[in-house]
Amino acid sequence: MGESESPIVPPPPPPPPPPPSAARRIVEIANVTKTFKDVVAISDVSFTVGPGVTALLGPNGAGKSTLFRILCGLTAPSRGTARVFGEDARSNRDVRGRIGLVPQQDALFDRLSSVEFVGFAAKTHGLTDPLGRARETLAQVDLDPDDPKKVGAFSKGMRQRVKLAVALVNDPDLLILDEPLTGLDPLQRNRMISLFHDLGDTGKCLLVSSHVLDEVARIGSKVLVIAQGRLVASGDYRRLRDLMDDRPHRIEVQVDDARNLASELIRRELADGVAVRSDTLLIDTLNVDRFGRSIAPITAELGIRLREVVPTDDDLESVFRYLVERR
Amino acid sequence: MNRYVPALRAVGLTQRLFVRQLLTKGRVAALFGVGVIVSVVVVIVSRNLRDGSDGDTEEIVRSGVELMANLGFTMVVPIVALVFAVATFGDLKDDGTLVYLWLRPIDRWPTVVGAALAAVTVSLPVTLIPLTITALLADVGYGLVGATVLACVVGNLAYTAVFMLLGLLTKNAVSWGIGYILIWEGLVAGISNVSEHLAIRGYTRSIIAQQTGVDLVLGNLSLGVAIVVPALVVVGALVLSTLRLRSLDVA
Repeated sequence: MGESESPIVPPPPPPPPPPPSAARRIVEIANVTKTFKDVVAISDVSFTVGPGVTALLGPNGAGKSTLFRILCGLTAPSRGTARVFGEDARSNRDVRGRIGLVPQQDALFDRLSSVEFVGFAAKTHGLTDPLGRARETLAQVDLDPDDPKKVGAFSKGMRQRVKLAVALVNDPDLLILDEPLTGLDPLQRNRMISLFHDLGDTGKCLLVSSHVLDEVARIGSKVLVIAQGRLVASGDYRRLRDLMDDRPHRIEVQVDDARNLASELIRRELADGVAVRSDTLLIDTLNVDRFGRSIAPITAELGIRLREVVPTDDDLESVFRYLVERR
Repeated sequence: MNRYVPALRAVGLTQRLFVRQLLTKGRVAALFGVGVIVSVVVVIVSRNLRDGSDGDTEEIVRSGVELMANLGFTMVVPIVALVFAVATFGDLKDDGTLVYLWLRPIDRWPTVVGAALAAVTVSLPVTLIPLTITALLADVGYGLVGATVLACVVGNLAYTAVFMLLGLLTKNAVSWGIGYILIWEGLVAGISNVSEHLAIRGYTRSIIAQQTGVDLVLGNLSLGVAIVVPALVVVGALVLSTLRLRSLDVA
């Protein structure tokens, strides 16, 4: 018995990962808005986060640090609620003891050595054997606990690792890391990302912010995207990547016969819009992969000299702008 | 497992950290220098007074006590307390390190008490040592040394608590503090008996006046009042600082 022919239907996109169950919700943000005088830093943001590594992606000034400050209770939301382990960290002392934070600002107690600084953090968390724990945590981030230098004399990368050690010293259940890879060399970045995954695998909740897309791809498969103070996308990183690839792209092409090439691209349905400026074509396309594969053979076929093909909106800002506009 | 730091331990930890942060060489040298200059001025002037007073002991004592009350307790004690008290939370707020104290399983009040103790730990020796030496060198007797020590301790505690609160409430706390010292304590406090009660200077001068028996302007309060009221001011300022720290936006 032959099978009837049926049209090929592309598989539906995978469903977004379900929100963590109530018992597994470590972070709960509900309709949070934060304003500073007339400036809206966060606008009606809601999400929940469970155990594992979640990346918070957004351009500089998007509101990532403000969101983290609200989560840690460092500032109160103007509207909405932020709960960590079901409590408000601003008013609950015990919850504060379960959080580790790497703040974005490069501020340390510069006149302490690294072991004194991390040891102080351990003492203020009420740990037994604070110095032993400080030494252990410094070694975990590849710093020498016996280094007598004051942290004020440390390099940017070393200071960043001191901040990580301070955040890790109390073995927190929730780690909030605001741009933690800033200033680290590639080797250290790999080591730290691996450490984040190890911690996530043990059931801890890690929220890691970054404004670098490729970095986020390595940090976590769960991603929250924030732009202009709003949560513009969330879910699995691959879904987000597809979404970004499926958006309209603008490409600049320089050739010696722009009008002829424009007609051909429209005829072959490779361009959704074309603007011709002398020898330059500005092309909008929804199928950037097909366009990329076809442009060189087409120009060769037409005998047109192809000088340059440049994507004009491939930067992260354009991606964020697109995500904001499509909401 | 929930961990927290017991209050007394938290006070000690906070106090030690703040002392390390406050003790910059420049700050201590500058303020100790102010104390030394005032001491030298008081000693020179009191010696000159003695030389020119034809042995009038009462006049020598009155002049020495007034000089100490005016220079020591109108300038040195409040300004030194202002600089260190404002710097406690002010420095940490400005450079962004307050987060390392704020995000801890510690109640707010031990942090405030620890910070105040740190400011006093640094500012009290800076004022007490030169002023006591000055009182000794002025050599006018009549309990000036004991009065100086007591007034210095009372004034230092009260100014520290008030200026630490000011540092948590305002951005330009040093300017506001200098304004308070010069305008309120220097001018407004002398206008009436009521305003005298609203200036810490009125209490420190009263301690000097009561202990030495010398009549001083703004020195009419009893010794008990001059000690109890500043103590209440300290408690009130610490309570308000705790409430302010709870509601603070931390960078």
